[in-house]
Amino acid sequence: MAKKPVEAEAVAKSKPKRGVLLRIWVAAWLVPGFGHLMLGRKWRALILFCSIIGMFLLGIVMQGKFFSLHSPSYLQTLGFFGEMCVGVAVPTAFFFGYTGGDPYFVSSDYGTAFLVAAGMLNVLAALDAYDIALGRKP
Amino acid sequence: MTISHLTAMLLFAFLVSVVFGVLSKDTPRERLIYGAKVFAAFVGVALLLGWIMYPVPW
Repeated sequence: MAKKPVEAEAVAKSKPKRGVLLRIWVAAWLVPGFGHLMLGRKWRALILFCSIIGMFLLGIVMQGKFFSLHSPSYLQTLGFFGEMCVGVAVPTAFFFGYTGGDPYFVSSDYGTAFLVAAGMLNVLAALDAYDIALGRKP
Repeated sequence: MTISHLTAMLLFAFLVSVVFGVLSKDTPRERLIYGAKVFAAFVGVALLLGWIMYPVPW
């Protein structure tokens, strides 16, 4: 059934503009929790930031591997995209001299799993921020 | 940093549970309960699978 004009107008007014949504999504991707912070969910933002960055840092100290885009394996290419989902954390790690871990280090495999999982969790956090901005979630 | 498999699994389960709890539920109490359930499920299933695979020779 079609919505009444007044109701449809109210929905259209409450729906944020595409530019705002894009800004929130990009902010949430670049810095874990920043999308929630922009939406006024300070505590949620802090918990997400600490958890996701904590996971990323644990991956770094366990010498997790940074995958390359030009890898011969499709799984490693997927791993590259997974790690890139953490946002600016990867370039920041490069900036501070982390070159991608030591694959022969004993905890390296665990570290790699932590790095990719941090990226995946950040995708979920960014989608959650997007849903909140759309009004689908409180 | 070198850590044992169990410690890595506990850390992983804890951090993922926190994020799942925060994202999935709306009130702090619901989040806490859901996060605890997810953590228990992670650890429980990992230990169970570990014991199931223990006698497997390969």
